[in-house]
Amino acid sequence: MRAEWAKQLSRAFLLLLGVVVVLPALAHGERNQEPFLRMRTAHFYDVKWSADKIAVNDEVVITGRFRLFEDWPMNLPQPDRVFVGNGTPGPVLARTESYINGHAAIQSGKLMLDRDYEFKTVLKGRIPGRHHVHPMVNVEGAGPLLGPGSWVEIGGDHRDFKLPLTTLDGTKIEDLETWGVANVVRWEGFWLLTALVFAGWWLRRPLLMTRYRALHEGHEAALVTRGDRLWAAAFLTGTVLTVFAGAHWAENRYPRTIPLQAGQFRIDPLPKDEHEINIQVKRATYDVPGRSMKMTLVIHNPLPHPVQMGEFMTAGLRFVNHELPAAMAQVDARYPAELLPRTGLTLHDKAPIAPGETRTVDIEATDAVWETERLTSLLTDPDNRVGGLLFFFDDAGQRHIANLSGAIVPVFIGS
Amino acid sequence: MSTPIKPPAEGDFVDIYGVRWSRWAAQLSARLDVIISIIIALAVTAAFHLHFQLLAGDWDFWVDWKDRQYWVTLTPIVAITFPAALQYVLWEKFRIPLGATLSITCLMVGAWIARIFGFHLWSYFPFSLIWPVLMIPGALVLDCVLVLTGNFFFTAVIGGMGFAVLFYPSNWPMLAAYRLPVEIMGTLVSVGDYIGYTFTRTATPEYLRFIERGTLRTFGGHSAWVASAFSGFVCVLTYLLWWHIGMLLSKVTTLPNRWRSMFGMAPDQTAATAPVESHDAR
Ligand SMILES: [Cu+2]
Repeated sequence: MRAEWAKQLSRAFLLLLGVVVVLPALAHGERNQEPFLRMRTAHFYDVKWSADKIAVNDEVVITGRFRLFEDWPMNLPQPDRVFVGNGTPGPVLARTESYINGHAAIQSGKLMLDRDYEFKTVLKGRIPGRHHVHPMVNVEGAGPLLGPGSWVEIGGDHRDFKLPLTTLDGTKIEDLETWGVANVVRWEGFWLLTALVFAGWWLRRPLLMTRYRALHEGHEAALVTRGDRLWAAAFLTGTVLTVFAGAHWAENRYPRTIPLQAGQFRIDPLPKDEHEINIQVKRATYDVPGRSMKMTLVIHNPLPHPVQMGEFMTAGLRFVNHELPAAMAQVDARYPAELLPRTGLTLHDKAPIAPGETRTVDIEATDAVWETERLTSLLTDPDNRVGGLLFFFDDAGQRHIANLSGAIVPVFIGS
Repeated sequence: MSTPIKPPAEGDFVDIYGVRWSRWAAQLSARLDVIISIIIALAVTAAFHLHFQLLAGDWDFWVDWKDRQYWVTLTPIVAITFPAALQYVLWEKFRIPLGATLSITCLMVGAWIARIFGFHLWSYFPFSLIWPVLMIPGALVLDCVLVLTGNFFFTAVIGGMGFAVLFYPSNWPMLAAYRLPVEIMGTLVSVGDYIGYTFTRTATPEYLRFIERGTLRTFGGHSAWVASAFSGFVCVLTYLLWWHIGMLLSKVTTLPNRWRSMFGMAPDQTAATAPVESHDAR
């Protein structure tokens, strides 16, 4: 029994040590998230950061879209309560506004699987430093689902930070960081002092051993005197009166107050394409020594235009087909370089897929980034599935998004 | 520095609470008072703060969690525990009616230390989001009722109720400013809601807030008072339970030393004649 305990304890300790050692090395542990959480939940795309260097009080706006993946992991609850947040190391930026499809996202609500949402988050620089900033959705029961992260440098001095606000009753708040704080300190300070004065009545007299002996020898009357009772009666009355006077003062000072708001939003997803390109994963392998994901896909094009594959996107990683200008045009200059593998996406059959055609295509996404982003731990999952989005472009340059999901088989011996 | 303590001269005696003490012993006792008091204060601060953080947790941490239902119900119930236990020890053994005031003040000091260093300086949260609650008025009432009645049952009923009922009005002078209505992106929220939203807690998204759920909302604007009354009822029971926990923890008993024979010594003689004797000072 005891040995078992010791073993478990040391295991827990090692785990803890691992977490502590690993965390500072990564921005905030996003790579520690299990691959299925990153490849089969919320797929963020078109993510843009409006700036990478700002001063305190300046804004950085993150925009983009996310799709809640169709092949949502079975072990996660459905996205019935979702909050669109942002992944930053604490409140280093103040979130002043956030929107989903143009609607306020200050509350949580239900979103739908296999649908797309457009988000916009406005962040105001607060704590100087170099911070990794991600878009993020929190799904109740599934935890934080992070999008790609980019570094934002904030310069200046935190003391200059100001977040003013005007309430509906016309009260002008100069800075939300300090609003009401002086009042809290005064009121709590007053009561702390009152408590000390109350206690001082007893603390100034001999305390522990002397009272203990006196009580044993039956000198109760000397320990609880008439003065003690009067002192207590005065404090009892004074306390009750002061509390209600204080509450009354607050009622008069702020007659129009509302309770905390716990409503939920109702937001419709973006309209769905009439025709969607269908992808069947015939075979997917991950070549461990070659760090290469190889897939054989059966692609059906129901659109009235020929399409070409431009990008394979999963876990924020963008494998872009370098030979397709329309796909390359989608890459924002500020998109984090470490999430854009250099070789991109390799297609073995480059000809466009004609309208109505079904074709079997081999693709390859090779890069060390599978290792550095720790996505290879996918192979130790109990359900070995790969998920992602495929971006196709038609001859008019129009983009069409398709879901890709299928089982994956590891290849351990180099070919 | 302090005056050196001299051994007693003949006839050098003082009277303290009707008990005759040599001046030397009285001086020693006074020093012990200071040392023990500091140790008790530190121990209560640490233990009570941990207990309170685990049980009241987020409701006490954040201004956008301090609702009219769970915060009002839960906080007094988990906060009356240590005051009750300490009141037993200090009143029954010493007739000092400071158990509640002392423990709640220690808790408040501990909470402020955590907020300043852990939440503000280390994690950058502004004080408008993280100020700790005030419970000193309720504690004063508990102690005053104990002095006036000298009876733990009346203290439980009157004091316990008072502790819970005073909780919301004593915090309202600070909280009201955070409940002003404001329009954000076309949505009506309170200033507190917006503070919680804007200074992001990455790991505590909005939906995690456990606020204003359930049927108590049908009481409309009076839900805080309904919650206070319910909390008061549970506080009375919690008080009685923790008063007895204080009793159990301050019991001094001796057990026979069963290890003696293993070290080749004779069995514990005192224990053999009197197996388990309680030295409870009643
Ligand atoms: Cu990061």
